[in-house]
Amino acid sequence: MSSPSHQPVSNAPQDSGAKDPVVPVWLIIVCFMLVYWGAVYFDQHGGWFNTQVYTPYVSAEDLQKYQVFGGPDPMVLGAQVYGRTCTGCHQPNGKGTPGTFPPLVGSDWVNEKEPGRIIRIVLHGFQGPGLEVNGQPFNTTGQMTAFGELDPPAGLTDEEIAAVITYVRGNAEWGNHASPVTEEQVKAIRNKYATRKSQPFSPTEIKGINPAE
Amino acid sequence: MRHGPLVFLAAFFALSASWFGFVLTPQVELGRAAQETNAVMKAELYPMGRPGIARQGAEIYRANGCAYCHSQQVQQEGTLVSVVMTDAGTNTSALADYLNQLLPGRKYMGPSVGAGLPKVILTNATIDDAAIFAKKLKSAGAASQFRLVPIGPDIERGWGERRSVAQDFVMDATALPGSLRVGPDLSNEGNRHRDPNWQLVHLYNPATVTPKSPMPAYKFLFTRKKIGKQASPDALQLTGEFKPDAEYEIVPTPEAKALVAYLSSLRSDTPLYEAPITPAAAPAAASTNAPTK
Repeated sequence: MSSPSHQPVSNAPQDSGAKDPVVPVWLIIVCFMLVYWGAVYFDQHGGWFNTQVYTPYVSAEDLQKYQVFGGPDPMVLGAQVYGRTCTGCHQPNGKGTPGTFPPLVGSDWVNEKEPGRIIRIVLHGFQGPGLEVNGQPFNTTGQMTAFGELDPPAGLTDEEIAAVITYVRGNAEWGNHASPVTEEQVKAIRNKYATRKSQPFSPTEIKGINPAE
Repeated sequence: MRHGPLVFLAAFFALSASWFGFVLTPQVELGRAAQETNAVMKAELYPMGRPGIARQGAEIYRANGCAYCHSQQVQQEGTLVSVVMTDAGTNTSALADYLNQLLPGRKYMGPSVGAGLPKVILTNATIDDAAIFAKKLKSAGAASQFRLVPIGPDIERGWGERRSVAQDFVMDATALPGSLRVGPDLSNEGNRHRDPNWQLVHLYNPATVTPKSPMPAYKFLFTRKKIGKQASPDALQLTGEFKPDAEYEIVPTPEAKALVAYLSSLRSDTPLYEAPITPAAAPAAASTNAPTK
């Protein structure tokens, strides 16, 4: 840049034009590489601003995988819930009463591959004729309580429902080996029937529901 | 300078961005953190408040500049998982065959698979591999648990069980995390040296227990006095060249006892949601942190 008061020393052509200096290409590339490195570093170490995520954990999902002791053992909690809530009808040994209260031991309802139906039954109750468990008819007018609709302590939270179903389905002493149930599964089904109240499921209605949903 | 305001704005933006990121955001997120219910042991509040004498000791720790040479921040580089089999199920011979298939180099024989449970059958696995392995075990009828093994140089040195997190400092009016490491990290000192008398003797003269220790002797926290009718019950048990002259004894002052109570209250072995470790089989009893003598 030549100022008007300053005579150029030479008349070289590159000094004659009033051009701004150009940023060299290598500097632009270095800047982009630095930004890229920063983004990768942030992704690996930033935890996306979650206050509970520290190195060496990368994200909340990553940290969640390590929560193998995060919370009470569902089998222990489930046994407690079963003891105070379910034994009145289904009996401590889970065999129920023939003709009135269906058994949980070896029950085809309990041991279904997907737990959708049994979660609905615990949440909103069960009533109606035509129920068959393991081929045995239970023609009773009695109704299973809608434990998801009551307030605690009579009612059960999602965590407790998940635990007690996990306990019943996975109780090796009863010969049950079905998969555990998570709190999220219970919550999802509860949200589907948010307005349902005092309407227990009937055997016909529940048979029409896909247990995986 | 051309573009002076632009350069100023750029510098101002860069500095204020880091101030927002490093100072303001953490303050907003963590500045009012409180004692919380421990996510792992649900009924337990963490951190426990320090006993009064240990809180006094924290002031001694601060006043003597201990934090200039000792940090209280354990770093962690990763977490490995061990799979522990807790139940071998009923069909042990099928399980043994399956395990031999899954873990080349092992030779499990039918019934012996179920011997000595619980036993570690897979070590140094990533959490994903361990989860897959546990699922396979379950399909074979066996039950298993995970043991989380934090790794990193600090943990190998035995300075802590897990990394330090912000929650560890919630009950400290002045957090003393330190920055230099002339001496060892003290995050877990209360578990590493459980004997308060060891701490007292070490403070009086580190050379008594660690020859060539660069740590200064804190003799001014102790009183050298003539033995009265009988020796003081809390006099230091010193031997060899460190033994005081006959008829004299070395007695810790209340400051020394408070400092030791503080050191004993430093523990980082509680499993937390944000720093998961496998809880000890029996939770350590809450220390009273007072020297026994």
